[in-house]
Amino acid sequence: MRLASLAWRGLLARPLRTALAAAGVGLGVAVVTATIITGSASERALSSATADLLGAADVRFRAFDDTGFTPRTIQALRALPDVEAVAPVAERRLVAFTAPGEDERVFTLLVLGIEPEVDARIRPPRLAEGLPLSADSPTDALVPASFAARNGLDLGEEIRLNGRREGLPPLRIVGLVEDTGFAALEGGDVLLISRATFDDSFTVPAPVRYLDVDLGSEATAAEVDRAAAALGEPYVVETPAAAAERLASAQADFAGVALVFGLVALVVGAFLIGNTLAMTVSERARELGLLRAAGTTSRQVLGIVGRQALALGIGGSAAGVLLGIGLAAAMIGFLSTTRAVLVAGLPLPPVGLAVAFVLGLLATAVGAIGPAVRAGRLTPMDALRPSRSRERSLLERMRPLVVTELAVVAAGILIVPILGVELGILPLLLSLALLIGGAMATAFVLEPLGRLIGRPFEWFFGAQGLLGRLNFSRDRARTGLTVGAMMIALAAVVALGAVAESARAGTERRVTSILPGGHAIRTGIPLEVEAFRGSFEATPGLQQASPVLEVPVVRVDGDEREEAVLAGIDPSLFQDADALIITGASRTDAFAALRAGGSVLVPVALAERAGIEVGDTVTLGIPGGEPHDLAVAGLLEHTLPARTPDGALLVSTADARDRFGATTASLWIMVAQPDVPPTAFAASVREAAVQLAAEPVTARDLAGELARSLDSLSGLFDVLALVAVVIAGLGIVNTLGIGVSERVREIAILRSHGMTVGQVQAMVVAEAAIMGAVAGILAVVTGLVVAAAIIGGGVAPELGAGLRPPWGLLIAVVLVGTGVAALAGLYPARVAGSLPIVRSLKHFE
Amino acid sequence: MAVILEAHDLVKTYPLGDHQVEALRGVSLSVEQGEFVAIMGASGSGKSTMLHLLGGLDLPTSGEVVIDGVRISTLDEERRTLTRRAKTGFVFQFFNLIPLLTVAENVALPFLIAGETVARNRERVDELLALVGLTDKAEHRPDELSAGEQQRIALARALATSPAILLADEPTGNLDYTTGTEILDLLWDSSDRLGQTIVLVTHDARAAAYADRVLVVRDGQVRDEIVLGRRADHEARPLITRLSELGL
Repeated sequence: MRLASLAWRGLLARPLRTALAAAGVGLGVAVVTATIITGSASERALSSATADLLGAADVRFRAFDDTGFTPRTIQALRALPDVEAVAPVAERRLVAFTAPGEDERVFTLLVLGIEPEVDARIRPPRLAEGLPLSADSPTDALVPASFAARNGLDLGEEIRLNGRREGLPPLRIVGLVEDTGFAALEGGDVLLISRATFDDSFTVPAPVRYLDVDLGSEATAAEVDRAAAALGEPYVVETPAAAAERLASAQADFAGVALVFGLVALVVGAFLIGNTLAMTVSERARELGLLRAAGTTSRQVLGIVGRQALALGIGGSAAGVLLGIGLAAAMIGFLSTTRAVLVAGLPLPPVGLAVAFVLGLLATAVGAIGPAVRAGRLTPMDALRPSRSRERSLLERMRPLVVTELAVVAAGILIVPILGVELGILPLLLSLALLIGGAMATAFVLEPLGRLIGRPFEWFFGAQGLLGRLNFSRDRARTGLTVGAMMIALAAVVALGAVAESARAGTERRVTSILPGGHAIRTGIPLEVEAFRGSFEATPGLQQASPVLEVPVVRVDGDEREEAVLAGIDPSLFQDADALIITGASRTDAFAALRAGGSVLVPVALAERAGIEVGDTVTLGIPGGEPHDLAVAGLLEHTLPARTPDGALLVSTADARDRFGATTASLWIMVAQPDVPPTAFAASVREAAVQLAAEPVTARDLAGELARSLDSLSGLFDVLALVAVVIAGLGIVNTLGIGVSERVREIAILRSHGMTVGQVQAMVVAEAAIMGAVAGILAVVTGLVVAAAIIGGGVAPELGAGLRPPWGLLIAVVLVGTGVAALAGLYPARVAGSLPIVRSLKHFE
Repeated sequence: MAVILEAHDLVKTYPLGDHQVEALRGVSLSVEQGEFVAIMGASGSGKSTMLHLLGGLDLPTSGEVVIDGVRISTLDEERRTLTRRAKTGFVFQFFNLIPLLTVAENVALPFLIAGETVARNRERVDELLALVGLTDKAEHRPDELSAGEQQRIALARALATSPAILLADEPTGNLDYTTGTEILDLLWDSSDRLGQTIVLVTHDARAAAYADRVLVVRDGQVRDEIVLGRRADHEARPLITRLSELGL
């Protein structure tokens, strides 16, 4: 036998504890692995969806304004000798229905019209099931496979489009396309039909928004220029990056945020390892002291603990990587269903898996440093008579952990460039540091908090509650680490929930501020204001229908030209409805200036980016027209959404019409008469929208879409955080298990004085529940601080509404913490309850 | 006097590897109310096993124990515990106070376990603290007390519910002579003045000499019974003489 074998025997002697410690690091590695794989699947899906969207096209032209490209432009392009194929894409947002009846379903879809034969040359159709579109069959329609699965649609299902000409046969689904390319747009809520069908279906043809042009092999810049010169309408050359951005705006931060949750789980795992080894060393101090007395060097002792840590790390990390692959498959399945983030396949990036494995080892090493050093420092006398050891202060006991745990955060920051995650997640990693700081501080507030929170347990459980509370703060460093680990996991849930709540509130505030009265109708294509005004004004209960005249413009800044969108609004309507949040100038002055003409309200995002201030002049023009100088009358905290990321610049309707020639609108603000009930008016607007082949839009609907997207992603992250909660639960099993084994004699005394088995069990469960409740309450505080840091850091514009505590979630977190901890306490409680009294009375530590 | 504790033909065997070890081989005894009985024997004689069975901490392999009319050895775990809580008090060699509780709370532990509060039993706790002379230490923690003081608190705790029987397992085994004597004096006082029935397990003749009656245990059996009677001087000589005669 070699000395090293003591390490393995030590682990095998306590199989449950060993398994728990390995499971702790394993689950942490599993979450990291899963997030890496999912991030990779997401990147792969995005790049492949972009590639599939652009297909063989060498260049994609986007129409500058809403009227799109004309047939003449398409013909001119096709006539060019360099051009092999031109695939036009017409698009229009429409409300669609399935066959009438009880099972009728309604969707708002992005309907795309393509020329099947020519489009197939640019992007060969990728069908999951059924047939491709046929130019000869005017009723053919395709939908993405995931959309069909989500909505229970089958091949052959009838689809009716709102506003389609009377007398035409209904569209039928003939094929289900894979979730890539076109099918990746709008979260998959897409319907593909032929352009001919599209044009025949409506009085006003759908505008051709895109022209994808194949210039043959090795297209040159000159060929692209020649193609562009043939375009008769203003255009923008869309880059693959812009196309990718259109495909998935939520994609950017997903991998980073997911990785942070992985690291949270790993940190919790490291706490568990550290705590387990610390307890093992303390429990075996006598044995290690004997070894030291027999001549074992401190280095050899250190080696024994080191080997144990290594075995736990390798075993746990390897199992974690395998488990992580399974977890990733589940996550990808979930994301594929919700379409919150584009994902594809189950990639197994070797570097990513290796990083997860190494992180597991690193976390184990970090957790093991403190106990190993302590074991190495044991002298024979200290170990043989533990009572002679100098009682170390809490601060002294915590110091190595504070230093070493921070290393995990440093490691997290270091792997950011390795995995190619954007540095935008730095605030999130700093939040992780904040979480760990909070966990470290837990030990110092344990006693007063335990006294406070334990009191109800005492009232409820009597002696068991009292003893549970007192046992809770018996070893503050050990309990502090255990509670701290659970606190980190729960705080991540709180922070995420608070940020999501703030984002929801911010979104609702934004939408409310840009939609006076809260009702609007959005048409699939821009409509001539004067021609259609009567139709809108016929809506029952309407006081005013106010069109928003949208004009694509070019902002001139010295030699720079930038695409922008101008929206003409009725200043009085917005002012009277207390809409728009204006900064930099008084509302009265800003609206007065807008009414007077020659003034513009600029979105804050654009103002900050371009250094525009109130009183400056902004030069805007339409392609081929005279540029106009407009005075900046105010800055808009939120503005009407537009195709440009900054949103629309606002002018008066008169300026939009007279200076920029705008005569069409696709958004109509519908203001109700004061005495009309909101629900009745909403029904009127809905009916009017149906008549106009448009969709009704309410502030709540708009906010709801964003909120749903937030909910599905935050739900996923909550699951990841709950894995960390489970790991922390294992930590509680471990800590209480050790606590019970240390208190065997004490429990026997209680039993001998008449404490029943149930009372002993209740005492242990109460201790566990107090741990969970304290963790939950600290998690609420820490989580809100982290959320405040994220929100204050301005990570996303939706967070402008400030911190909105999600009260329901906060209560749930405390209850979940208490519940999980109480569950974790059941096993140690069972052990404590089954201790034989007589044998336990003879137990000596 | 009424019999408060009876044991009939107690047998206790333990597994040891492949063998069964007989710790007790058919022990029968009875203790009357207010009596102070000592069970004496060498290490491994079975005297502690006997105490554990008499107090309902363990179950006999065969035979039965009756405490204050209750056949404790036939009860299930829950009822046995409740009977123990109501009818017995224990003092062990290693004081065994709960370190997290104050002295007063330790004394009140049986009440706490029964779902009562310290406040409701304050008078009784103060009375017991006065009995053991530690009124001024009520709010101290056990680790702030000397060994003798801790054992006095353990004794006060055992007396808290005025149990039918107090069982003491080598209560002076971990104390010096003077402190041990203080504890034995307290035990005797509680028996003599308060009428507390006591069963004391010891290997020390000086401690056993406080008893009215001494049962000598060897090889798991009661080999002799030495009746000393109630004596205020606790003189050990008659007992030692008798033990010598028995060759012990």
